[in-house]
Amino acid sequence: MQNRSADFKRQVTIKLADTRLQQALSRLQSRFVEGRTAVISEIHDLQETRDAAAMIRDRALDNLDHWLLHFEAQATRRGAVVHWAETAEDVNRIVAGIAELHGVKTATKSKSMVSEECGLNEALEHAGVKVVETDLGEYILQQAHEAPSHIVAPVVHKNKEEISDLFEKIHQLPRKTGIAELCREAREILRPAFLSADMGISGANFLIAETGSALIVTNEGNGRLVTTLPRVHVAITGIEKVVPTLEDVATLLRLLPRSATGQSITNYVSLLTGTKGEGDPEGPEHFHIVLLDNGRSSLLGGPMQEMLRCIRCGACMNHCPVYQNIGGHAYGWVYPGPMGSILTPLLGGMENAPDLPNASTLCGACSVVCPVKIPLPDLLRNLREKQLVLGMKPRQETALLGIWAWLALHPRLYALATGFIVRFMKLLGGREGLLHKLPGASGWSDGRDFPAPQGRTFRELYRQRKHP
Amino acid sequence: MNARERILARIASRKPDSDALGHHLATHPRGPQPPVPCDLKKHFAERARKLSSDVVEADQLSHAPGLIADYLQQKMLPMQGVCWPALADLPWLEAGLNIEARPARDRDLVGITGAFCAIAETGTLLLLGGELTPASTSLLPETHVAIVHPHRIVATMEDAWELLRREFGTPPRTVNFISGPSRTADIEQTVTLGAHGPYRVLVVLVQSAI
Amino acid sequence: MRIGLFVTCLVDSIRPGIGFAAIELLEAAGCEVVVPEQQTCCGQPGYNSGDSKMARALALKFLAEFESFDYIVLPSGSCAGMIRVHYPELFKDDPEQLTRFIALGTRTFELTDFLHRIAKPEKMPGTFKGRLTYHDSCSGLRELDVYEQPRALLAGMPGVTLNEMVESTTCCGFGGTFSVKYGELSTRMADNKCRHIVDTHAGTIAGGDLGCLLNIEGRLRRNGDHATRVLHIAEILAGKDM
Repeated sequence: MQNRSADFKRQVTIKLADTRLQQALSRLQSRFVEGRTAVISEIHDLQETRDAAAMIRDRALDNLDHWLLHFEAQATRRGAVVHWAETAEDVNRIVAGIAELHGVKTATKSKSMVSEECGLNEALEHAGVKVVETDLGEYILQQAHEAPSHIVAPVVHKNKEEISDLFEKIHQLPRKTGIAELCREAREILRPAFLSADMGISGANFLIAETGSALIVTNEGNGRLVTTLPRVHVAITGIEKVVPTLEDVATLLRLLPRSATGQSITNYVSLLTGTKGEGDPEGPEHFHIVLLDNGRSSLLGGPMQEMLRCIRCGACMNHCPVYQNIGGHAYGWVYPGPMGSILTPLLGGMENAPDLPNASTLCGACSVVCPVKIPLPDLLRNLREKQLVLGMKPRQETALLGIWAWLALHPRLYALATGFIVRFMKLLGGREGLLHKLPGASGWSDGRDFPAPQGRTFRELYRQRKHP
Repeated sequence: MNARERILARIASRKPDSDALGHHLATHPRGPQPPVPCDLKKHFAERARKLSSDVVEADQLSHAPGLIADYLQQKMLPMQGVCWPALADLPWLEAGLNIEARPARDRDLVGITGAFCAIAETGTLLLLGGELTPASTSLLPETHVAIVHPHRIVATMEDAWELLRREFGTPPRTVNFISGPSRTADIEQTVTLGAHGPYRVLVVLVQSAI
Repeated sequence: MRIGLFVTCLVDSIRPGIGFAAIELLEAAGCEVVVPEQQTCCGQPGYNSGDSKMARALALKFLAEFESFDYIVLPSGSCAGMIRVHYPELFKDDPEQLTRFIALGTRTFELTDFLHRIAKPEKMPGTFKGRLTYHDSCSGLRELDVYEQPRALLAGMPGVTLNEMVESTTCCGFGGTFSVKYGELSTRMADNKCRHIVDTHAGTIAGGDLGCLLNIEGRLRRNGDHATRVLHIAEILAGKDM
């Protein structure tokens, strides 16, 4: 997917003015935030479980080569073929190759953010394979030619009227207005696609080294359909998704759905191992697993490794006051919210996402809810440090902060300067005691007054009081 | 070097301790788990109902078809469908049901399965795909009925994995944890039951295997 | 107890009264309060902009000025969090300094946290009468677990009725330089906060961090609300709210 993160600031303006989006976002916030709160307390010892989950992910990441090799060996033993992809283009080439090898003309696909990273659908269409997205949200987006705006609820930015209009236009059926009716219409339209597809494409929430399995969590059942009915199954996922054992995944699954959608468990958790067994009436004859690096390996062993713990629940964005106000599209790439503000510059190039690490108040709401305890604000701050080293910070900002720090290290001059500034600002504030314009800081004063200082600094008043 | 070798070179462990890793695989230690409920069956039924499954109880297996027929009648659903070949011998006809023992097809409206086990913590069924236990039976029809023996209800997913390891060694191609009817909340985050899978799930808890 | 009070740069420049209120509260609780006069800024602006070098220099300055006190108290959760949580991170590769910063951190408290958990005064000097609502600033809340403390202190004031706003723990949008660099976004976040404040009909909003309070007051006034009072918790507790 093309990276449009550099356009962040302009997108913010557009998104803040989009009243339909604002309504949709407030709905997301209430459903997902309250939903999580309601079920997360079911976990007997939440902090202990989060610690265990973080440790599980760290164990996987610290020895990623070991677990992936073990995974590969087990998967291969069960008849799967494991492919290694360094880049998005590699994934597209590999999957197109698989399609060609097995004479695939049509494919059904369940939700995969990694495939969004790669722009797989376009690549396959180009190779002559008809791809149908089957997750309801992703199907809607495919028909509307839009990108997901949330990693769990991809179509959160659209309301049901927009979807009614879209379905009426593309399905050529009488307009449905109820949500249940819209869902049934999509079910009936998509059923034949499921039944006739040559290939099913899925992601994988986890890879289990112990058994060589891919595990997917879904609610709609489309994930089960695309991995059961077609004769070829391709699972695409990032190299970091491996965990050692089934018990490890059990711990993670106690947290993932609760953090994501406020469900104690998703409707379906499917563990897919190898090709169909002897005598099995169904299941794929060919199972290909594509492991994507795409920059992930560069995070290992460094200060950003903790980001690779991410299990893609979306809790960080659901709880982020920035995401809550602008939605996912403003972030410009596949992953929005706090996790996206870290992954986008790291995987897509620092220079292509100059705003994302800075567009956060570091309020910490994300790290409190992260099921695998990723210190997201620390990582954002770390990226800001990287930007400084790379010379990406605006000159004015670094100059002003430099002057401030220099003054702060020279208390006498600091006292002089602040003493002057507070008097000047008090004057500007007038009788109202408010500054309506801040020269050089219109970002503040375009939307807010600035309460004028009292006119004397604390240090002056304190000294006066001590030595009257 | 090919892509595989290049990726592996980049992710090579800095301090590999293969003994410790091997030990972790061999012992597959568990993380924190909730306390085991004293009545697994009751807990399972409560949790399953919470996730919109219907739950009924039968004294013995041969009574299951009658209960299923009552349920279908009550919901005004068709009295016909498919069941796992493993359940072919139940007295379906006597209960007024026309049930074929074969994998489900698109137009089948009722699919009847057993379960490998069930999990009390979340009210979840665990089904293994196989020759006599096709996965499509619990997926394509609009109504999924699962016959579960209470002695196969375990406390947690960890217990289920342990049972799977003990009885099967390695997992079959498809292992499905099912927790209620399929659903979507993609449109306006409003939960709607019956997305691509069943609209309803009936769990029949059967006391005795006869 | 000998307390080193760090008033913070914002209080020093903009609302000195908060510093005096803090002194009064600490003295009323029986503490000896010293205000080192060379104090300036804790270094958070530079730190949050990615300039760790600058932050380290100011951290060392802070250490030199405050290390000798029994406790260090700040009328700001944000600056207290900087000292307690982030100073040690800045020196994680320097074991000798790290030990000193950890020791410093464990003796550093946000004002209400210190009053509630350590000083435990019997009575607050303030006599505030009426309703107010409370905004929980992010760093104090999430880095220092300051939530119950101000509420407990307010509960000890017979005239105070606390009307909780919805989402009192959601960020107001200040975020230091964020408030200028992403002004539009920051303003929207402040606006949401102001809406929740006004909805309580409390008439007074209190908080523990001047940065957030300036942001909230600035937006309230721009919205034409000149009636809602915006006060630091120290001002209310000390009776400096007039």
